[in-house]
Amino acid sequence: MESSDNVYSLYKCRLLRVYSLTDEEKLFLLRFEDSDIAESWSFIPGQFVQVALPGVGEVPISICSSPMRRGFFELCIKKVGKVTSMIHKLQPGDCVGIRGPYGNGFPMDEFEHSDILLIAAGIGMVPLRSVFMYAVDNRWKFGNITVINSARYGDKLLFRKELEAMRDIAEAENIKIIQTVTRDPEWPGRVGRAQEHIKDANTDPKNSCVAVCGPPQAYRSIFEKLIEAGYDPNKIYVTLERRMKCGVGKCGHCIAGSSTFLKYICIDGPVFGYYDIISTPGLI
Amino acid sequence: MRYLKLGSRNIDEFLGRISNYGDLYAPQKISEKFYDYRKVEDISQVEFNYNRTITPAKKYFIPPKHEMFEFDMETGEYTETMGDVKPFVLFGLHACSIVALRILDGVYLNEYPDKYYAARRKAGIIIGISCLPDEYCFCNLRRTDFVDIGFDLFLHELPDGYLIRVGSERGHEIVDENMDIFEEVSNDDIENFKKFEKKRHEMFKYEGSFDNLRYILELTENSPLWDEESEKCLGCGNCTMTCPTCRCYDVQDLPDIDGKHGKRIRFWDSCQFRSHGLVAGGHNFRETKKDRFINRYVCKNAYFYPLGTSYCVGCGNCTYFCPAGIDFLKNLIKIRDVVGEVAHGEQ
Repeated sequence: MESSDNVYSLYKCRLLRVYSLTDEEKLFLLRFEDSDIAESWSFIPGQFVQVALPGVGEVPISICSSPMRRGFFELCIKKVGKVTSMIHKLQPGDCVGIRGPYGNGFPMDEFEHSDILLIAAGIGMVPLRSVFMYAVDNRWKFGNITVINSARYGDKLLFRKELEAMRDIAEAENIKIIQTVTRDPEWPGRVGRAQEHIKDANTDPKNSCVAVCGPPQAYRSIFEKLIEAGYDPNKIYVTLERRMKCGVGKCGHCIAGSSTFLKYICIDGPVFGYYDIISTPGLI
Repeated sequence: MRYLKLGSRNIDEFLGRISNYGDLYAPQKISEKFYDYRKVEDISQVEFNYNRTITPAKKYFIPPKHEMFEFDMETGEYTETMGDVKPFVLFGLHACSIVALRILDGVYLNEYPDKYYAARRKAGIIIGISCLPDEYCFCNLRRTDFVDIGFDLFLHELPDGYLIRVGSERGHEIVDENMDIFEEVSNDDIENFKKFEKKRHEMFKYEGSFDNLRYILELTENSPLWDEESEKCLGCGNCTMTCPTCRCYDVQDLPDIDGKHGKRIRFWDSCQFRSHGLVAGGHNFRETKKDRFINRYVCKNAYFYPLGTSYCVGCGNCTYFCPAGIDFLKNLIKIRDVVGEVAHGEQ
């Protein structure tokens, strides 16, 4: 884990805390072992890292913490396959290999001086939590903020407790947190899909940047609702996922798009603008 | 550009001299029907007139399978393994193969340069050679039938030897160190070079350019052709393995038998395999054979902006080596509907 001129080199990170968010998702707090890396490593919300377990493999995972905290970062990992199942077995003190950060991330500079509307469905909350935490850490750079967090069931809402616990700070800071579920009869709060709550956001459609993350099938109807509500299509961003092996635009697994707009999601994305999405068959 | 002549009598000497710069690899006849790049043990086996090789030159820069790291499962350390990369000379590449390497350069030496590829690229001397097209070739439609850069030396066939173009500093050095076997280019040589180029141009089956194909492809996504043709596809991946610009790879961590150490290896992958778009949880981004079939047409016809060409260089390998007889070029022409296309000899 030394030669930094090799783009595939991994850096050792120690797990400091492992916390179960739902029955499938765990939140991991990590720190770089090498102090120089810890000192210099930074990322943009919306970027991802490759997480490696020797002998098992590597997986791309979105960073879900704010880049303001140096040397530490958080990953929310859903247990779905071979590597993520092994990661779920790790305990505080164990190590993993990390390389990255990769991808373009959200254009946070463009978000400045605007209101921010974040729309998450299911695991889509993971990259958007990074945007949200970054915006909270730099509160004075942004206007009103709304987070819409949605899932099928209440106990599947990622970061539900954390968002609930932020109620006071949210009120004081012009932040609106909306958590909604689609299929849970037991849920005492809001119901319906994320896009049905856009009208309740505290953001001004004429001066807002929107970040959306969720299952791609949901994107078209979210776009419709946003444009109907007057949001500027030029300021709507989504983040996509694909199978990725390299993260550096080579292995080809994440290639998507069409013959006029062929993209490696890992380096040209994963964040794309509204017009890229609607003019490129195959992207969502 | 610097031009020289290599007379027929000096060709064997030339091959001998260039093999002083590293192991020499060149196209050789390997069976009744096929040619392939092989290490040259006997200069008389080097083939100057061949149409295509069974494996593309990319294999010298992205080996079909190679080790990237060794790992220790107890400490969690990965240690880089570069392998044995020594100087070599790759002789006999056609223009399309050289453009293909430049496309790979654009991908593998982008803002995240691949060290394994870079080391092999640096170690390899590239010597190109002119060719005459067969019925599978359409590099002219791709505008890759001629190269100005990407080689150290390029040999153009003359009746009595070769006209040599020098394409790099290393090319100049090789020439300077061996001036005794080269001659000045004469007026006759220039006339003969022009004649060869004319003859070559007239042998291409089609004229025109495929530049607008990428738009038409997007607009004809629902054409019944995709159902018909993908139905024939066996999903074997020959088209991508023999493609000089297909560059997808997969990576696996293979533990050793002691359960403590292991190797991270990478090997060629193909978008024609079902596993290519499969993610944990069972979702597949290219679920059906038709999805995978179209993916290759889209990817190959997309524009590679740094070079201003498509990713397809028109070598014809995918058609030639397809066991199901799927004709890539014919399908593209069908999709484009051949408006204004003039086939040589059909008028």
